[in-house]
Amino acid sequence: MKFLLISLILLLCSPSYADFSQNLRWSLDASARLNHNAAIDNTSRIYALGLDTHKVFTQATGDIGYGVAQIYYTKLSNHLPVPFLFDSKDDGDFIIREAHLNYTDTASWFPNIRLGHFTMPFGLEESIDTNGRLLDYYHGKNLGTKLDWGLGLNKVTGLFEYNVSYTLGGKDKAKSVNDSYAITGRIGTLSHLDFIVGFSFYHAEIDGVDRKRLALDWQYYWQTWGLLAEVAIGEDDKQLSKWQQEKYHLIELNKTAQHEQLKVYGQFIMRDKEYQKSIDKLANIGLSYQVNTQLELSLSAHIQLNTPDAGKKKQLVRGQIRYRY
Amino acid sequence: MKRHFIFYLFLLTLFSENAHGVAYCSLRDPVAQIAQLFPGKTNQLSIVKAVDDSTRQKIQTALPRNDLHFSELGKHTLYIAMSGREPLGYVHVRSEQSKWGLVEIVWAIDKDLKIINYVFQRCRSSKRKFAEESQFKSLFIGKNYRELKALLSSDGVTANEAVLAKAQDAPELVNVVLRCALKTLLLTEMLWREELKKL
Repeated sequence: MKFLLISLILLLCSPSYADFSQNLRWSLDASARLNHNAAIDNTSRIYALGLDTHKVFTQATGDIGYGVAQIYYTKLSNHLPVPFLFDSKDDGDFIIREAHLNYTDTASWFPNIRLGHFTMPFGLEESIDTNGRLLDYYHGKNLGTKLDWGLGLNKVTGLFEYNVSYTLGGKDKAKSVNDSYAITGRIGTLSHLDFIVGFSFYHAEIDGVDRKRLALDWQYYWQTWGLLAEVAIGEDDKQLSKWQQEKYHLIELNKTAQHEQLKVYGQFIMRDKEYQKSIDKLANIGLSYQVNTQLELSLSAHIQLNTPDAGKKKQLVRGQIRYRY
Repeated sequence: MKRHFIFYLFLLTLFSENAHGVAYCSLRDPVAQIAQLFPGKTNQLSIVKAVDDSTRQKIQTALPRNDLHFSELGKHTLYIAMSGREPLGYVHVRSEQSKWGLVEIVWAIDKDLKIINYVFQRCRSSKRKFAEESQFKSLFIGKNYRELKALLSSDGVTANEAVLAKAQDAPELVNVVLRCALKTLLLTEMLWREELKKL
């Protein structure tokens, strides 16, 4: 993987006539998130400070491709449960979010080639970036990871677009762990239109769990309203047990103010797992307010509507302030 | 490691002239969308420039009662549609606020900075189809900044009566498209003039 990544960097850089700073966009991105998990009566904070960069590589006859790199120092404070990237509830570490190169100077019939650490091309998340936001489409819970290291092929044609990838299943590690892997793909109508439909597939072994998924997603926008949905069916095999069916449904209604500074959304989520007696029903409401180009405030509340088989109902309230410079 | 990282980020903030927030206005997929406007292109060449508060001030001076939406500040890309080493024209995406949220228009511009064509990347008006018809487009195609500015009424933000008469079904949308065209041509000239001369 490292060899492939270095090769692609050299391929993109070698014919460039411009210095590296040309066509480079970058932002310093700082955020502080306050979480109150009522189910375990715990209040925690997550701080992140990082660099978000986007670079277009060019030569005299045009663009060759682009690279995205997002590296953040992330610090937890009393955060439970502890995310897999950290060792303790007060841990801090460098986190690589997106870090990939997309080679676009291919023949018109041939797809672009992406290499690096990228969001799995599946469902609604494919066209809606949720990195660093409270808004979420639950890739991590459904697929076992949101981002992974690997190779992808992607293309936008006049009528449809597709994105398929083979990744190593190591999540934050650029290697396969215990034969982990993930094959992911989505084909859909053009994602800048007002009505978008996509079909996704997923077959992976990550963290010792085999997962298979098929999903249908759609988005419909009317003036300042948006209606989004994702339906996924599949099965999990946790190796020692048998394949067990899982179904996942998400529907979202959102509204954006005319000036686009204020966005509000409500989500209803159902997770039906064969090994669970009751179906998880969850509601999410949230808003974000972009005060100016740099400053964004957001709030969200996550509430479980059914009584779970074990433990208390999930109730999570979060607030975030984010500044990009 | 942590201290070094934070120190370097701090230095970057101190010495950078290019600091910016998020710029939303860009092509979702330049390869496919530019081909739609320039079918003969073999590639595109990106040139990224910063739109800052001084640029915003110049826009307000040149087009009184007009402003740039906050998402229009930051780094923006002008695409040169290329056929081999030959530039065919320019592609510039701009957003304009409307009652249907932001309208994002992909403008095709010739080397004399006249409008060749446009497509909507995002337009949630019910009149979108009407605004994509050649009769509507002909109000803008072939015109440069000076000719488009002459289409404004005395209030500086709406189209004059002659234009509104030709766009009877979509008066609000014609105002949005006109303001967007003016800002697009003005910004192209202001920010990318030197780079375009070298092509």
